[in-house]
This record gives sequence, structure tokens and C-alpha cells, in this order.
Amino acid sequence: MAELTSIKLNAESHLLLDQSLLRLPYELLRKNFKTSQRLVEREREHILSAIKSTASASVSLSSTAQTQASLDSMITRMQGLKRKLEVLHEEEKAIHEHSRKRIQHLQALYDIPSLVDVKYDEWSRVRLNRLLVDYLLRSGYGDSALALAQEKHIEDLVDVDVFVQCHKIEESLRQGRTQECLLWCSENKQALKKMNSSLEFEVRLQQFIELVRSGQIGETKKLLEATQHARKYLIPHKDTQSKEIHRSAGLLAFAPDTQVEPYKSMYSRSRWDFIAQLFVKTHHELLSLPVRPLLHIALSAGLSALKTPACHSAYASSSSNASSSTTTVCPICSTELNELARNVPYAHHTKSYVESDPMVLPNGRIYGRDRLLDMSRKVGLGEKQVKDPTTGEIFHVDSMEKVFIS
Amino acid sequence: MEALNKEHERLCKKSNLSQSISDIQKTIDTLVTARNTIEKDSNATSLTVAKLQGSVKQSFDKINDDLKDVHSGLGKYVKALDKKFKDRPIPTSEYDALSSHPSLINRAIAMHLLREGQFSVASTFIREATANPPRVDSNTEPADGSIGLPNDLGMGPLKSESLQELFAEMYYILHELRDKKNLLPAIEWAKAHSATLEIRGSNLEFDLSRLQFIWLFMGGDQGNGQHGSFSGPQKALDYARCEFGRFQERYLREIQQLGAALAYEPNLQQSPYRLVFHNDHAWEEVATSFTREFCSLLGLSADSPLYIAATAGAIALPTLLKLQYIMKEKKTEWTTQNELPVEIPLPPSYHFHSIFVCPVSKEQTTDQNPPMRMPCGHVVAQESLMRLSKGSKFKCPYCPRESHPRDAKKVFL
Repeated sequence: MAELTSIKLNAESHLLLDQSLLRLPYELLRKNFKTSQRLVEREREHILSAIKSTASASVSLSSTAQTQASLDSMITRMQGLKRKLEVLHEEEKAIHEHSRKRIQHLQALYDIPSLVDVKYDEWSRVRLNRLLVDYLLRSGYGDSALALAQEKHIEDLVDVDVFVQCHKIEESLRQGRTQECLLWCSENKQALKKMNSSLEFEVRLQQFIELVRSGQIGETKKLLEATQHARKYLIPHKDTQSKEIHRSAGLLAFAPDTQVEPYKSMYSRSRWDFIAQLFVKTHHELLSLPVRPLLHIALSAGLSALKTPACHSAYASSSSNASSSTTTVCPICSTELNELARNVPYAHHTKSYVESDPMVLPNGRIYGRDRLLDMSRKVGLGEKQVKDPTTGEIFHVDSMEKVFIS
Repeated sequence: MEALNKEHERLCKKSNLSQSISDIQKTIDTLVTARNTIEKDSNATSLTVAKLQGSVKQSFDKINDDLKDVHSGLGKYVKALDKKFKDRPIPTSEYDALSSHPSLINRAIAMHLLREGQFSVASTFIREATANPPRVDSNTEPADGSIGLPNDLGMGPLKSESLQELFAEMYYILHELRDKKNLLPAIEWAKAHSATLEIRGSNLEFDLSRLQFIWLFMGGDQGNGQHGSFSGPQKALDYARCEFGRFQERYLREIQQLGAALAYEPNLQQSPYRLVFHNDHAWEEVATSFTREFCSLLGLSADSPLYIAATAGAIALPTLLKLQYIMKEKKTEWTTQNELPVEIPLPPSYHFHSIFVCPVSKEQTTDQNPPMRMPCGHVVAQESLMRLSKGSKFKCPYCPRESHPRDAKKVFL
């Protein structure tokens, strides 16, 4: 009975790793919609007030030509709006198409009855490629990700552009540039405010630190600039960040090579890395993306589920090793994963699971009787001899004994 | 899933920006009309503009209504999404033991790509990963500083180039075998590794030769333009004379079978040898067994470990998340650090090693606590043996026989 339950596929609970597949396009759609809403709102205000002033101007005996000119400019602006919205609409269509393909992909899982079905195998391979692309993108290997997605025809199931964009900003921060990140902050101002993000403040604080740094090493007028910068960009956050603001004031008194904390770490180069990490975290949160690569989550669960005490044992396992063609190499023992699996817990089992009719050879190794005899016949041994498939030792048939595994 | 599908359908058909765009066009039309009116009749200027005020405001209201539709469509869609993924948070990092080993993961990926035959992706990846070695998060300790060999992703003895060559060879042989029914490259390979294969007890070399014999016998050679004077069976016989000599000792029976089949050549279909000659799976079986032998000789498993582990992980995740949830509810922690606290049901094909659970202590045996076989044939873990016997003669918990613990022997599963 246990085997029946172990091969059943419950699609509903199986879709744990796939949520962001649909969440991300939704967030993009929403962003797209907000942009169009903002555009329309801006034009509305402008056009309505323009018409109003044109109307009052036309009463007070101004020339028709002037009225015409202002109407013309309104028409141009509206056409501009239309163009912009058309671009957004195209984008929207593309996202809809992506979502449709993704829903189809997930739907396919519902039609697969069991985990041993060939179709599940295919589906799972697509999933692995998805996870790999996700991992590659998060690690900043954009070219590889794109190449893999193209080769496997899963471009619709992965979000290369989003990650490439994110990685660009992350890199710019690591190189000490704030421009790209601040632009992104202003694009997502409302959403960031809603989630109480401190990203923009941290970036502004970094700018302040850099100004103070260059002020301390000579360019004194930068110190003044720093104070102005603080007044303009840091003070508005005084309700939530008062401690940091006080510290930033204190920073003015310390030189960049100070050993005094917290100022030493404020001057530290690694603060840029911290900001880059904060940006990535904020970015993923905003788009409902898991913080860790999905591959990590799937792999660490999988490594544990497959790992047995035998995988890192000092003795070669009789039931699965590379030295005999009667067994397949266990994936955890294979070079790719062995080292990676060293620190994960092994799977829990309550029942023994051994080959049927186990026999022990004089050297203590246990094999299924059939496998042992089969193998010995294949290598062309005499009738009364058996060969240990792992060590290659040859024994007399009568020297093997039964073992009882309960 | 259906509800989600429906909402998405609605989103595509109705809740999009096309309506807003057409209403913007209408506003533009209104403006253009007004402009033309003024151009024709300058006296109507102030009246037209005054009228325009109202109508433009109205059309903007219309556009906003259109946008509201999109908004509500999006709202319904996200509700369907929420419902679909209710109670299923995005998995967190609690089981993430891997973040501190990015170079090991990279190595696993590179090997995965190579063994799947995606050589161009693999070389792109190796180039990118070598140029930008992974950054270890500052909040996790760099546990594997020594492993991150810059040049080769730390593949150790398996250099990426040589690995690529090896797998390229494997794919070439498989391609010839599967698509062109050309067994010769595979036979070449098997011959070159004959000794190793024999030690492993593999039939691959003979299986390949036998298939070649059958292929010749059935006239597989006829198609490629050589209208020689020999018939299929004749060629097969010639082949057998040259090649089968070295298999005589091990496979005499099979060779006799093939030889005897020659006598039945005209009506093979009715002969006892029908199955040997008309086995449609034979080619696929040989291909699979070739892949397995090839990988095993490299110490690698036949299927990509990354694939198996990720799939097993997806199967295990629901159970693990439930466990995480329960532990949080009860505020307990799991005590056995090196063993998972729950059993995860995996399909039988995901079992590789034998598992021995001591029937007395109910624990899995390990290197420190190995399985011991008592003279009566029953097996228990060493610790259980010590506890039961207290160093003197004792009765087996499963049968009436008595034995001394020093007579118990360590066994390897």
C-alpha cells in the first residue's frame, strides 16, 4: 500500500515552487496599469486647465490663431498620451500571453495521474530548467540563462528581463553609483512607501557619507554640500530614522580612517554591498519573488529526501555503487552532489528496504540472492562459484548464508 | 485552477487598455473637430471652447472609467491567485543549507549541462561563472573557501574540457546508434573498455555485437548502396566468424542460439527464435545500458543527479512545509540534527541504497552504529546488540537461539 501512496501525484500541493510564476506577471501588470493611470491623470489635469485658460482667453478678445495654437498643442499632447498608452498596451498583451502560457503549463500537471508517469518526467524536466534559469539569473549569469531558456524553448516561463534589469542596478550599486537605484526608487515610489522600505533613505545616507568622505580629505566645500544634502533628503525621514540621522551628524566629526564605531563601519566600503543586497531584497519583495533561489529550496529538500547514511560512509555500499553494472550510482554519491549533500540531514526511514532474499558473503557483504547468482553467471564463473560485485572476491556458493532482515 | 483560468481569460479579453486607447482617440477627435470649427468660423471661437470644456471633461471621465474596469479585473484576478495559493506561502529559506556553497552548486550545474549534452550553454556558463565567481553572502560564513577553484569550477579530476569531450563522445555514439542504426562506434568504445566492462559483469559488448549480427542478418546493411553479392544471413555469418570468437567462453549458449537461427532463415517468423530477432526494444535497451555503463565508468549516475534531486525535492516539499508549520505551532524543534524527523514517501525508483532500520532500536544504522548479524542470521544494530547482551551470552530477540555478542559479524548492505 505504501507504494500506492508514494507514486500518487497531488497537483494541488505539488505547486509549491511555482507560485512566483504567476505572481510576477501580475505585479508587472499592476505596475503597467499604475503607470498608465498616472499618465492619464497627468494629461487630464493639464488638458482641463489648459482648456479653461483658453476659454477665458478666448472671451477676452484674443486672436483665434492663439486659441488654435493652444488647441493644437493639446492635440499633440493627447496624441503623445495615446502613443504611450499603446506601448503599455503592447506590453500588457505580452504579459497576458506569458501568464496564459504559464497557466497552461501548471494546468498540465493536473492532468498527470502519477509520479511515475512519463509525462511527469517531462514536466519535471521543464521545471528543472525553469529553476536553473532562475538560479542563473539571480547569480547574475544572464547570458547563460538566456541561452538555456532559448535552447529549451521556455522563454515564456522565465523572466529574463526583470532579473537582468535588477542585476544591472545591483552591480551599479556595488560599483558605488546611486543614480540607477534612485531612478528605480522613484519609479516605484508608492509601492515602496506602502511596504515601509528604507531603501531610498539608505541610498541617500550613502550619498551623504560619500560627500563627507571627500569633504574630510580636502574638498572642504563638500562638507557644506553634505549638510545641504542631509537637510533635503535625510530630514524628511526623521520620524522613522532619527537614530541614523543623529549618527550621520556625528559622522561629520570623524575622519574616514577612524577606528570608532559606528562611524568606522559607516565609512566602510562594504556598506555599498549592504545597500546592493538591500536593493535586491526590496526588489524581490516588491515583485513577490522568493528571496532565495528556488533551486536551493528544491535541492536542499531533495538532497535530504534522498540521502542515506550510506552516501557518505567510509565503506562502499553493496546496494549501489559504481563498480558493478547491476546497480546504478546513487545521485547523492555521484560527484556532482556528494560534497553538497555532506551537511544536510539524511532521510528518515521506519522500515528496512533491502533486496529480496538477502544473502551474506563471508566478507560480510549482503546481496540479493538472484542478483548475485545472475551476475556470477554473466561473468562466466563455474556453477559453484559466486563473485562479490563490489570487491571482486570469489567465493564458493555454499559459503553464503541467509540473513534475516526484519 | 479553473477559476484562475476564467479570470485570466477575462483579463485578456476585457480588462485591458484597448478601450482606454480608443476613448483617448475619441477625445482627440473632439479636439480636432473643435479646432476645425474655429478655423472655419472665427466668431464661434469662445462658444466652441466653452463647449469643449464640458465634453473633454466627460471624455476623460470615460477614460477613467475604462481604467477602473482594468483595475477591477486585476483585483479579481489577484483574488483568484490568492485563493489558488492560499495557505501556501512562498517557501522560505529554512531548509536552505546550500547558500554557503555557491561554487559547489555552480559545479553541479556545469556538470548537469554537460551531461545533458547542452555544450554551448555549458561553455557560456563556465565562461560567465569563471569571470564572476559567486559571492558568498556576508551573513553566511564562507564555509567553502578552499573549494572555489577559479579555473575549473572546482571539478577536481574531471576538468570541464575533458568532461565535455567525454560527453560529446557519448552523444556522438548515441546519435549514431539511435538515429542511424550504426552500432560500430559503440562497439569500438566497448572494445576499448572491454576489460573494465568484464570486471563489472556487464554484457554490453556482447549485446552490441549480437545486435550487429541481427541487424546484418535482417538485411540492415542492404540500404546503403552496396549491392554486394552476399545476402543478409551470409554477411551476419561472416561477421560472427570474425567477432564472436572472443565471446565463446562467456556466451556460448547465446551464440549457439544465433547460429541455429540461420537454419530457420526462410521462415523465421514461425521459428522459436522469433523473439530474438524481432525485438523492437532491443535498440533502446542497448542505448540505455550504454549510457549507464558510460556514466558509471566516470563514477557518475546515469540520470542527472540534479534532475533527480530537484524532482525528489519537489515531491518532499509539501511534507517538509507541513512539518515546519507544525513545529512552529507547537514551538518544538527537531532533536535529531542529522536526520529528518519525518518519513518522505518517494516512488520506488528513487530508492538507491538498501536501508536497514534496526528492529530493536528503530534507528537507521550508520558507520558508527553498523548492522551486526548474529549466528542465527538475524540482524540488529551494534548498539542494540550491546544493550541486549551486556557483554554475555543472550537470546536473539527474534528466535530461540542464544549467542555471544563476539560471534556477531558486521555486515555491509
